[in-house]
Amino acid sequence: MTDFFAQLDSQHTQKHLPSLQTPLGERSVYDSVAFCNRCGSCQQVCPTYLLTAEETFSPRGRNQAIRLLIEGKLNLSRNRPLLKAMADSCLLCGRCTEACAGKIPTAEHILELRRTLQTKTLPPLLHKLLSWRNRRPKRFALCIRLGWMIRRLGVIRLLRTLGITQLNALSWIHHADDILPAPAAGLFKNPFWSTKTHAPEKPTFIYLPSLEAEFLMPDLGAAVLKQAAQKQHVLVWKNFSSGLFEYIYGDLRQSRRLLYRLIRRHQQTAGGKLPLLTDSIDVYLFLQKAPQLFSRWPKKKQQAQLFVQNLRFVTDILPKTPLRRIQSGRIRLDKSALFSCEGKPFETAEKILKTQFRKNFVECSYKNADTPAFGYSFVQRHLAHSIMMQNVQNIARTQTGTVFTLSGLSALELNFYLKRFYPTAKADHLVRLHG
Amino acid sequence: MKISAAALNRLQKTVGKQNVLTDEVSLSLYAYDCSLSRTRPDAVIQLLRTEWIAPVLHILYQCNIPFVARASATNHAGSCAALNGGVILNMAPLNRLLQINTQEGFALAEPGVITGDLQQQLTPLGFFYAPDPASERVCTLGGNLAQNASGARCMKYGGTIDHVLEAEVVLPNGTPISFSRAKGGPDWIGLLAGSEGTLGIITRLKVKILPAAKHIKTFLVTFPSLEDSVQTVSDLAARGIIPRCVEAMDQITTRAVEEFSHAGYPLDAQSLLILELDGKPKQIEQDALQLETICRQNNAQKFIPAKTEAERQKLWFGRRAAYAAMARLAPNVMVADGTVPRSELPRALKKVRAILDENHIFASLLFHAGDGNFHPQIVFDERHKLDALRVTRTVKEILQACVDCGGTISGEHGVGVEKRAVMAYQYDKPTLDLFARIKRAADPKNLANPLKLIPLKYAEKARAPQPLLENIKPLAQQILTHWETHIPCVPVGANTRLRTTAHNTLSTRDLNQILEIDKTNYTATVQAGVTLDALAAALQAEQVFCVLPAGNGTLGGAFCSGCMPGFYPHVLGLEALLPNGSYVRYGGKLMKNAAGYHLSRLFAGSQGTLGIVTQLTFRIFAQSIPVAANYPFRSAPGNSFWQAIKTQLDPEDLFPAVQGVLDD
Repeated sequence: MTDFFAQLDSQHTQKHLPSLQTPLGERSVYDSVAFCNRCGSCQQVCPTYLLTAEETFSPRGRNQAIRLLIEGKLNLSRNRPLLKAMADSCLLCGRCTEACAGKIPTAEHILELRRTLQTKTLPPLLHKLLSWRNRRPKRFALCIRLGWMIRRLGVIRLLRTLGITQLNALSWIHHADDILPAPAAGLFKNPFWSTKTHAPEKPTFIYLPSLEAEFLMPDLGAAVLKQAAQKQHVLVWKNFSSGLFEYIYGDLRQSRRLLYRLIRRHQQTAGGKLPLLTDSIDVYLFLQKAPQLFSRWPKKKQQAQLFVQNLRFVTDILPKTPLRRIQSGRIRLDKSALFSCEGKPFETAEKILKTQFRKNFVECSYKNADTPAFGYSFVQRHLAHSIMMQNVQNIARTQTGTVFTLSGLSALELNFYLKRFYPTAKADHLVRLHG
Repeated sequence: MKISAAALNRLQKTVGKQNVLTDEVSLSLYAYDCSLSRTRPDAVIQLLRTEWIAPVLHILYQCNIPFVARASATNHAGSCAALNGGVILNMAPLNRLLQINTQEGFALAEPGVITGDLQQQLTPLGFFYAPDPASERVCTLGGNLAQNASGARCMKYGGTIDHVLEAEVVLPNGTPISFSRAKGGPDWIGLLAGSEGTLGIITRLKVKILPAAKHIKTFLVTFPSLEDSVQTVSDLAARGIIPRCVEAMDQITTRAVEEFSHAGYPLDAQSLLILELDGKPKQIEQDALQLETICRQNNAQKFIPAKTEAERQKLWFGRRAAYAAMARLAPNVMVADGTVPRSELPRALKKVRAILDENHIFASLLFHAGDGNFHPQIVFDERHKLDALRVTRTVKEILQACVDCGGTISGEHGVGVEKRAVMAYQYDKPTLDLFARIKRAADPKNLANPLKLIPLKYAEKARAPQPLLENIKPLAQQILTHWETHIPCVPVGANTRLRTTAHNTLSTRDLNQILEIDKTNYTATVQAGVTLDALAAALQAEQVFCVLPAGNGTLGGAFCSGCMPGFYPHVLGLEALLPNGSYVRYGGKLMKNAAGYHLSRLFAGSQGTLGIVTQLTFRIFAQSIPVAANYPFRSAPGNSFWQAIKTQLDPEDLFPAVQGVLDD
């Protein structure tokens, strides 16, 4: 069975993960998929199954399809379109893993399927732009700044009026324009953009800003920096790709290279002992997976394991007890993330909010939809819209005033929908809890 | 089989092309449920509206295409596998909760509504839906009725069968029919419960909702032996204390669960009980005191009450984590299901452990101690064919041991295809024949979930029939004479309700023995001709009670006339003579039985049209309970379903005819 990927691709050892680090130990993809007992516990937490009520778009269905593929009971080339739809529609949110008794990492299986299908899911132009971040970081930064400027000048609005952004290839610009905040007058003077690098002589902390914190919501980056700098000398690694984008949408080899570059750089900075902070839960959870990417290379794996020990999320730098009393309506935590929605960052975030807001903290049901994470809305517009509408309905039903997210992108997406459909609520990144 | 292009075309026209799936991937993904069975259907139909069901079934009937209803497909018996190919009807989209009426205590729902969702909607209203299968977060109301699912609360509140008030069903030929318990006649909803979609498709349900208990107290008690814990449950019943839940596990299970969940379960005990009381605070307090005394009398080692809600949740967390604890050990967990009379539980569990050890199989053993229902959870890897075969063989042995202890092969999971063969071990040929006839009556073309529930070629494998009691033989002979001479007859008990003046009556007055009053299981086994007065006197002598009032009429009359529908849920077993002279036996001292059609509900209120009930086993209580309402006799309006079964059992109308058969 393990030869399945070899039959498809001679470079399977490079392009695919040989084994997965599951919550219950290291397993091959086939072993991991075979752990699905078909009990169906995952069905009612899967946002796509809740929308479609089709087995094909459920975690159990996806796992079974992959298993049948590996066992040779399902033909890949004959069923490519539907398999692609199954793989692309998955939010990779990890809610199924949380509900599963065997803790099956369905999101990882889906990524393996995507790698097998070798199709690009993002719009080509957007894919190209984002892939520049690791190949040509300066050009990428320039493009983003230019984009902001063009937007400020009203060019995007003009394109929208002319209907050009309705074209399939450019529809992502339309959506990006929707979710991004209006370019404020002082955008380019934001301390996070204006300073070249934050490089203290003796750093005690490294901050790896996410793409959104650096380019889309620079005030988020500034807020993290401000919070971290209260007690630490923070070294900021600007415009430095973690490899997450490639892991989800691109080539695993490239992702591995970028991640190893990050690990090496971390090692070379103060002996690899400095804590590395990130503001995006998606990046944090991806970096946690670092050893999994190097399971074929024991030495690199060991380095990755050491690296993981130094990872920090923003919940680690937020004060655990309330600084001051914040007058607010009801608040809730949007746990949207890639791969998982359980673990330390989520528990800490919930604890912080519960301590701060007590009875005003709204507990979410296991079926409550979260915001689709990390670019899903650019891939699956219709599904993402329906999931977001359910999310907004839940927020409205519980009369929530503020929704705290653990990634900037989720806050951006959610804010757009809230503004349109439930304007009394707003979404923000948890790090801005204290303003 | 393959579906013809013409049939496919008609189906596509009815439900829309996009709702008929025939691609390889979809067919593969609707081939399984939580069991080991896997068969690809020929097509999958997404049912987005309940109104589509009747026309779809009509087309399938005309084109002779088999079909299987499937919603969440969480069942453990292979009930959702399309063994003959054909069409899978995906009921999952039919998930609208139509109405919650707290004033009258019911909820109206489509069959795909998730049981947990209904609970969630009811909680803020201060109500709850009593059946609580362990998979309630994912299983559906329709699936629950089709499998007669139940859970931890079954001992006090009963299973799904007792909580459905009305059901709308489409018969396999596409005829919609509405069943209501208020109409009288046989308890059709009871017959539907556990029928696993072999009699028709449920399209709408009206379920009973109850005010939620405001006060709940939970206890963890450990015992040095299984016998002690089971005796405790019997003693509780004897004192009239019916806990809301009585969950139990043996030492091996406790250790596996504790290692995973850290719920604080003591590891030194051979048996562990989680007991939960609900009701008014004063009552709970009194019951809790008695509970502790009874537990101590039965050698309880530790008696730990949950002091806070958090402690209570922790106790339950361990129990709920029992499946997860096993699911982490191997790819497959087979959750077997058997039920025995409560008194037989220690013996049955010992046998089960011995079978598991003999076959070198690791399994946890959970049981609903109040119902005598146990679940060995066996871990294995189905990819190793020999292992899978060994496990399947072991489960079969366990179920046979269960039947040997006077039990049934299914308490709540159903039969499906995985336990189909063992049905022949539990039932004799006449009873299996009756199951087959019921199926044939509802589904003459054998299209609705074919090849399930009833074993194939059972004539030789079926359990040998037990000899008839001496006082039944003359009646059996009389019936046979009527069958051979084609002379009609009217079954009567004491003739107090029917008051017939006919001369050709068949009386059950000679069946007047009270066979057993079992104060361990709290059941009574009584022949149908015993008068209610005599029964009341016998029970009084033993200081036990039942829901039947005293009176001149007979027990059989009270059950079959339809005058006391409140008695039906108390009937656990039945024996009956059919118009062709065959003798059927169903159930016994079992608190749960999900193996085969519920014959006790078929004969309940059947007014002598289907056969003569000769013996009933029913629940008795240690303390007096309110008696069932006694309505005056009236001829129950018939329906086409009743008529079809009648035609199967009594084609020449030797027994009283069904009234008003057009009242569908």
